[in-house]
Amino acid sequence: MPRLNSVLAGFHDVTGCASTVFLREETGKLRIYAMAPETATDTSWVPTLGSGPPTVVESPDGLVIIAVVPGPQRLWLAVGPCSRSTTSLDRFLHFLLPVVSQLLQSSLEAEHAANELAERYEEINLLYSISEILGRSVAEEDTAATILREVSDTVGARRGSILVYSADTNSLRPIASRGVDVAELQPIHLNDACSLSAAAFRDQRVILAEGDDGACPAEAPYRRGSILTLPIMWTPPEGGTAQPLGVVNLSDRASRRIFSAGDQKLLMAIATQIGTAIQNARLVRASLEQQRLLHEMGLAHDLQMTLLPRSSAVAPEADVAARVTPAESVGGDFYHLFRLSEARTGVMLGDVSGHGYRAALIMALAMSASAIHAQANADPGAMLAALLSTLSEELSSTEMFISAFYAVIDRAQSTLHFGNAGHPHAFVIAADGTTERLAAIDPPLGMVDVPPSANARPWESASDLLLLFTDGVTDAVNANGERYGEQRVLDLVRTHRAEKPATIIDHIFQALDVHKGDEPLLDDAACVVVRS
Amino acid sequence: MSFAIKKQSEVVVVDVEGQLIVGNRQELKQKVLDELERGERKFLIDFSQTGYIDSSGLGVLVSLSKKIREQGGELRLANLNEDLKTLFELTKLDTLFQIADTRERALETF
Repeated sequence: MPRLNSVLAGFHDVTGCASTVFLREETGKLRIYAMAPETATDTSWVPTLGSGPPTVVESPDGLVIIAVVPGPQRLWLAVGPCSRSTTSLDRFLHFLLPVVSQLLQSSLEAEHAANELAERYEEINLLYSISEILGRSVAEEDTAATILREVSDTVGARRGSILVYSADTNSLRPIASRGVDVAELQPIHLNDACSLSAAAFRDQRVILAEGDDGACPAEAPYRRGSILTLPIMWTPPEGGTAQPLGVVNLSDRASRRIFSAGDQKLLMAIATQIGTAIQNARLVRASLEQQRLLHEMGLAHDLQMTLLPRSSAVAPEADVAARVTPAESVGGDFYHLFRLSEARTGVMLGDVSGHGYRAALIMALAMSASAIHAQANADPGAMLAALLSTLSEELSSTEMFISAFYAVIDRAQSTLHFGNAGHPHAFVIAADGTTERLAAIDPPLGMVDVPPSANARPWESASDLLLLFTDGVTDAVNANGERYGEQRVLDLVRTHRAEKPATIIDHIFQALDVHKGDEPLLDDAACVVVRS
Repeated sequence: MSFAIKKQSEVVVVDVEGQLIVGNRQELKQKVLDELERGERKFLIDFSQTGYIDSSGLGVLVSLSKKIREQGGELRLANLNEDLKTLFELTKLDTLFQIADTRERALETF
C-alpha cells in the first residue's frame, strides 16, 4: 500500500503523530496493513475492535485513538502517540480518517476487481478445458473423469462423483469419482429413498446437504461433511425439453466453506456442459460402432462374393455369365458352376428363404455341399436329393428352405437334364426365340421329405440359352410399387438372345436399375445365363 | 396389413389383408399357433384380400401346415388370385396344400 504509507508518513512529518491501519483477516487475525513511522509490529496491545465510536487506548509507546474505517468493517485507523503536538488525538483522527477511508476505498475496489477477475479466470479456464474435452472423441468414462477432476480442482472439492442413468436397470451408475476408486462405488437405484443423487435426478433439482444431513451409506465413499448434488441436464440440439442424464456430487471442500449461491450457479452451468460432453461421447461411440459394423458387413459381403465361382471355371465348354446382388450386405441367393466329366457342365441357382446373415450361412453350407454332391451324382435329381439330406437338419431347425434349380448340360449328347425344387424362373430360349419354362418338379428343399427327381429335354449346342433368375429380380419394385415381373426379363433376353451371355446379363441388370430407381432391393437378386 | 381371425362353425378362418411378407409373417404365425394351442384343429386362410406373398411368407404357410398336421389338424387355403395361383404352381407348393377356389367350398368339405 505505497500511497497510504506515504500519506501516513506525511501526516507524521506535519503533526508528529504516528498512525497505523489495521486489517482483520478472514481468519480473525489482526495484522498491520500500513503504518508510519515503521515501528514495532506487535499488535497484542490492541483491544477487540468493533464498529462503535472511537476509543482511546494505552499502547506500549503512549496514548492512541482507534476508530473503524467506514466501509467493509475490516479496517481500523489508529492515531498516536504524538511526539510534540498538544492538539487532542481526537482532532487528528477526524482529519485523517476521511483521507484514509477514501484511499482505502479505491484500493479495496481495485483489489476486489482483481480478485473477481482471478476467480472468473479460473471459471473461464474450466469452461475452456471442458470445451476442449467436448472436442475430443473419448469414451464417456474418460470424459466424466476429466471433467470431475477439473471441476473439483476449481471448487476445491476433495471428494466427488459423476453418476449416469441406465434405463435398463433404472439406476444411477458411477462412471467417475474423486477421493475413492470408482470400482468401489455401487450403482444407486432410482427409487433409493435415502440417496441424494436419486432425489436430485428424480426431481431435477440441486440439493445442498450440510454437515451430516441426509447421510446415506451408498454415498458415504465420496462424502465428507457437506455435499452438493446437481442433476446433469442435456437439451437436444434440435430443442425440446431438457432431460436428466445423471448427477454430479461434490464434497469435502479444502476450505471447509459451504457451497455459496455463486458456486451453485457456476456448477449448474458446468453440469449442463457435462451433459453435452457425455452425450457427445455417447454419439461418438455409437457412430464408431456403426462404422465398425458397416466395415464388418462389407467384409462379410466380400467374403460371400468370393464363395461364388468365376464363370471361367466352366470355359470353354460353356459360356456363362452370372450375377448376385444381395438386398443386404449378405444374402441367400447363390449360383454354382461345375465342370463335370466328359465335357458336361453343371449349373445351379439357389434361393435360401429370407435374406441377411441367417440366409447367408445356409447359402455357404449349400455351396460347399453341392460342390461335393455334383461330382458324385450324375443325375440332377440325385444331386438335389443328396443336398437335401445334407441340409435337412439345418433347414428344419431354422424353418428355412431353399428353392434350387440344377441342370447338367451335355453337349455331346445334346441333352439338358434338370432337377427343379420349387424354383419358379428357369427357361430355355431357342435361337428362334421360342421360350420353354423348365417348371418345378418338386417343392423347395426343406418343405417336404420326398427326394427330388429330374427331367430331361434336348439341348441345341451353341445356340440354346439357359436363363435362370430368382424372385428378387421379378419382385423388384419401383416408386409406384410396381413389380418388375417375369415377362419383362423374358422379353429383354429374347431381344438380345444372339448376344453373349455377359452382354445379356448387363441388359437385365441395367433395366432392373432403371425400373427400381432409388427404391431398395427387397430381396436378393440373382441371374445366370448359359450357352454351351 | 392385418390378419382378421374369426370362427365359422368348427373352422378358424384367417383373412390376410394386403401382403404376407417377411415383415408380418411372424404375426400370422403366432396368431395361428395361439389358436392351435387353444385346441383348434381346422384352419382356413383366405387370400381374397391378399396381393402378394414373398418367399418367407410361403415358408410360414408350410411351417404352419406342418405344425397343424402334427396335432392332427388341417390347414386349407382359399381364394388365391391368379398371380398367387401361378406362384404356387411354379414352386410346386400346390402339392402341399388343399387349395379351394372359394371360402364356401373350403368350408363345405372340412
